[in-house]
Amino acid sequence: MLRPFIIFALASTAAAQEDEGLRPFFEAYCIRCHGPEKPKADLALLDLGANDERWVDVLDVLVLGEMPPPDETQPNPAERRAAATWIEGHLDDLSPAPAPAAPTARRLTNPEYRNTLRDLLGIEIDIARDLPPDPAEPYRFNNQAQTMLLGPEQLDRYLESARRALSSAIVDPTPPEVHRTVRTFEPHPGEFTGMRRDEVSVYGSKRNTPGAGISIKSWPETGEYRVRIQAAAILPDGYDHAPLRLVMGTELRHDAGTGSFATVGVVELRNNVDQLAEFEFRGRIENHPRQPALETAKGTQPARMFLYAQNLFDNGELNDHRRSGFDSSWNYATPRVVLRSIEFEAPFYETWPPAHHTRILFESPLREEDPPAYVRAVLERFLERAFRRPATPEELARFERVFATVAPELTLEAAMRETLAYALVAPQFLLHAHADDDDALASRLSYFLWGSMPDARLLELAADGALQAPEVRAAQARRMLADARAQDALRDFTLQWLSLKKMPVVKVNQGLFPRFLYTYHIGERRGEEVLFRPTIRDYMLEETIGFVAELVRRNASALELVDSEFAMLNEPLAAHYGVEGVTGIALRPVPLEPRHMLGGILTHGSVLVGNSTGSAPHPIYRAVWLREAILGDEVPAPPAEVPALVDSAGDAATGAVTIKELLQRHRNSGSCRDCHARLDPWGLPFEQYSAVGAFAPRAPAEGARVRAFSLAQDEDLDGYAAYLKGVHTVPVDASATLPTGTAVDGLNALKAYLLEHRRDQVATNVLRRLVTYGLGRELTARDRAAVEELRSALAADDYRLQDMIVAICRSDLFLGG
Amino acid sequence: MARKSWQIDRRQLLCGGGLALGLPLLDGMAWSMKGRELPRRLVVSYISYGVYEPKGEKGQNHPWNWWPGANPGPLEFNESSAPFAPLAPYVSYLRGLDHAGGYGLGGHSSGDVFATGADMGGTEKTNNVSIDQVAAKLRGHETRYASLVLGTEGGTGTYGRAKTLSHRGPGRPIPAEHRPKAIFDGLFRPYAGENVAAVRARLAREASLLDLLLENARGVRRRLGRADQEKVDEYLDSLRSLEQRTQRIDRWTHVPLAEVDPGALDLGTSRRDPEAYTRCLYDLIVLALRTDSTRFVSFMLESEASSDSETWHYASHALGYEGATHDLAHKRPVESGHWDRWRARQHAYFLERLRDTPEGEGNLLDRTAVLWGSAHPHASHSNVNYPLQLAGGNALGLSHGRLHAFEGARKVPLANLLVTLLDAVGAPVERFADSTGPMPEVLA
Repeated sequence: MLRPFIIFALASTAAAQEDEGLRPFFEAYCIRCHGPEKPKADLALLDLGANDERWVDVLDVLVLGEMPPPDETQPNPAERRAAATWIEGHLDDLSPAPAPAAPTARRLTNPEYRNTLRDLLGIEIDIARDLPPDPAEPYRFNNQAQTMLLGPEQLDRYLESARRALSSAIVDPTPPEVHRTVRTFEPHPGEFTGMRRDEVSVYGSKRNTPGAGISIKSWPETGEYRVRIQAAAILPDGYDHAPLRLVMGTELRHDAGTGSFATVGVVELRNNVDQLAEFEFRGRIENHPRQPALETAKGTQPARMFLYAQNLFDNGELNDHRRSGFDSSWNYATPRVVLRSIEFEAPFYETWPPAHHTRILFESPLREEDPPAYVRAVLERFLERAFRRPATPEELARFERVFATVAPELTLEAAMRETLAYALVAPQFLLHAHADDDDALASRLSYFLWGSMPDARLLELAADGALQAPEVRAAQARRMLADARAQDALRDFTLQWLSLKKMPVVKVNQGLFPRFLYTYHIGERRGEEVLFRPTIRDYMLEETIGFVAELVRRNASALELVDSEFAMLNEPLAAHYGVEGVTGIALRPVPLEPRHMLGGILTHGSVLVGNSTGSAPHPIYRAVWLREAILGDEVPAPPAEVPALVDSAGDAATGAVTIKELLQRHRNSGSCRDCHARLDPWGLPFEQYSAVGAFAPRAPAEGARVRAFSLAQDEDLDGYAAYLKGVHTVPVDASATLPTGTAVDGLNALKAYLLEHRRDQVATNVLRRLVTYGLGRELTARDRAAVEELRSALAADDYRLQDMIVAICRSDLFLGG
Repeated sequence: MARKSWQIDRRQLLCGGGLALGLPLLDGMAWSMKGRELPRRLVVSYISYGVYEPKGEKGQNHPWNWWPGANPGPLEFNESSAPFAPLAPYVSYLRGLDHAGGYGLGGHSSGDVFATGADMGGTEKTNNVSIDQVAAKLRGHETRYASLVLGTEGGTGTYGRAKTLSHRGPGRPIPAEHRPKAIFDGLFRPYAGENVAAVRARLAREASLLDLLLENARGVRRRLGRADQEKVDEYLDSLRSLEQRTQRIDRWTHVPLAEVDPGALDLGTSRRDPEAYTRCLYDLIVLALRTDSTRFVSFMLESEASSDSETWHYASHALGYEGATHDLAHKRPVESGHWDRWRARQHAYFLERLRDTPEGEGNLLDRTAVLWGSAHPHASHSNVNYPLQLAGGNALGLSHGRLHAFEGARKVPLANLLVTLLDAVGAPVERFADSTGPMPEVLA
């Protein structure tokens, strides 16, 4: 079923049952299940009212051949087409009289709020950090009026956040005191063969070395900082760089598991120790957590921040369950970072006051000569950008009154901070309204493509009325997609569309997949995941986000989502998937060969892990994912109180019953059958991919138990791999008969089927997702024709993604909102 | 005017005798409440990481089992529950209850739904209104503060990592306050040292700023289509409720603040001294209740996501145990029992404080229903069958002294208890979350 178009209405007064043309068809093929008595899916075709939105579903299953089910008498193609045409004819008659319009104004989502403040104030502060999390639903976009609610708490928090942001944006006139911390690390003098004190290996370093962090005891409350380092790399054969990351925050304690930080920067070191190089990083001090002052038995420990150097080298083999920082041979076999010095300085500024300040409180003789006029000018400039359109005289006057109300007893700077904070809780800032004017159009473009406010160019075009021209919107869309800000919107879009956020919380069975996670092997936290490092799960998310972004960048076909000739990989991902020759942690497009069994997003770890149990594949989760995310179907939730499928991995992998058999039983039990017959076949072809997303074409023989990795029995991971190979003797059964009757065996066959028979459906889905996200509302039946028109225009050139986005921006649909 | 005995005697002391309550106290309240019913109150308190709860017959009779007794019926206090023995007429235990809506949450996340019972079946759904806020909405106008939302960690946390029990509705968690001084000042020094005249001036300024914002929003509303006007209405409602809060504060400036001297109450106490800290927060709740500053309180002790907080080592500070509290819950049964008893002692201290404060014919505890528990049994990531204790409210119709077991073939939702509690505190509702009816078993 396609996702139903909501607010659906058939305009024709001729209800189906009055049309003798369709009645015989229903009676011949459908009525045995969908008659008036206890109809399946509660769908009684002959009683379906003219305005019933389920007509769209009926049309879709007819066109796709999913109904009648394969074991029932089938209409011939001509009959099928005639029935579809009848329904389509009535859909096209849809009344132009609008159904009651749903609101489209909504508050900004947290990512939009953060991006907008960043672009408005010109400072990179993660100001949304303290806002309540946005509500979200799997496979749905939350940038919609029904989801983005605004309560008093939220408003209160917005005011707090706005005050905080403005206390960073507007500075006091006197240049502040500069705080500086410098530390150098001298290598051990003379002949020395161990790890030196200025080195950081992947497993850490000697104590009192850069890996142990430097402690910062004084810093300003707000402002930019600069961190400068002198660094180099020691590279064993086969490696051309060492990845260094600097992080700053509270004390990171592996033993206790406590600590939090924000990244200062990442650099790939390619120079050797004879050529120490200097690197510079900038950031905002506000983004980094600080260790509060603590009262201890020994006295008061002052507030501090810690700056750490991390070696992010990862070849996918870090987790061998033996090595720790004490195994020095491993330290020498992998790239090392050499850090000779770190210098922290804050606030760092080239001019005082900084640019983000003068952007608001600009230099002007008015300031002395005519203070009220100066205030008015400041407000006018700021409000135009904050409201994403020129402020009206009434609005300007109102905020002048706000200024007048707060100004007594405050400096100009303080009064302006407070006034502008109130502007940032005004609905003109917080709400993204779909008014029918050019300014709103500029915002619609910028929130669709950037997840942020329009820039000066867009606002100029809006002021000139130029955005009404489709070609202008198209040109702007191309320009905007090439801008770095497009990555923010694409990330948000991809995470929600593919419902990826659940992946990181799936608990992966470490016994069965001992290499997947990088765990502590010693100490109190033995067996737990190593903290404070990016993990392969983080990389898997970036893989998918990066892949979608790369397809857009290349203007590739939307069908490459199903299968592609490249994957976005870095070294740990490549090692996990079995692709050779990729080094370093930077993701990049890597050409694929058939033997890799990769391509498209169906084989992405983010999808496969997120839709597994953590121990075994979960064909139902994966089927739901495929139908929702790729085919655009809406899969109904199981009714309450249905017995759950035994989904524990253990049971499937170590018991006598395979998941496929479990499913078969589930499918055969009366009430479950109808839904599962149309669901399970989509998930079974994924069975060749393990719970951690690796190609695993063999399974244990029936009755064989798979034991977890044991250091004592296996000696090492190679031993366990050999054991697994011995147990996994039977080819995985990944065959299924799709609801249309087509038999597929394995994921490659499923992908081939999708590319051959479901091209338009996949493309329509991607198109509708983009339109839904861009308009910030669910589509209705009245949008169906417009979407179809876009789709057919794009079909000729294989549904290229950038063209698709541009086509949406230039369409009338986008104009109408 | 004759002094009623529920009015607080100025010489009554809290916190080891150091906290003096001076007169005049609650004069306005006393006057306004003349002839009216005494307050009905509700406290919901949550402890994290579950409790020690060994299974099997031997386990059920284990002296360190959290449950006072293996069988339904009169309570049999053991090592773990011993601190509540003196409170036997005031406590009951409820076995076999939980929120089905929390099943889909991970094993570290059920605190999210403890007071809400919301359906959090997916990973991305949102929470819903909590029981204290239902009561606050219906009865909160009767006190200076509609509710008090406390936690040892503060803030809201995020989905699956809640640090508050209270929610106004979906996507609207109420941040918990954890700083004793901020709590005390919020309750008893709301004017931040300003005199009442200055406060009224500030409130007037805030009111006029809110007025300007309202006026501004109405202007925006006029520019929009009818459907979008609904969204601005939502905004206007939020703004109005901030305005109402301002007005409420202003209105209560005409009622003298309870004169409460923090005295020896150590508001600077650190979480590094968990006993002093926890008792301080409990003392503050007692103070809030006895001054009738509020009647509805939620209190989240730790959270299952406290790894970014110093309370991660709470147990080690309290008991000298080396390691994270989380590990304690998983690994070490007897230490876990000691930890349970430590937490029981703090909660019993709170209940005793309430019991020892006279009010009307009885005491504060008689008119305060207190729900206390966790959302996990011991040493597993399960979130079924919460450990639950119900206390107080004897004068509100609750009956105590028993262990109830709701373990029949038909699952009884914990929400049924919440329906009965709301009824007991004068905020009756037809349904709450997935309730199927009231829970008469806990009533006299």
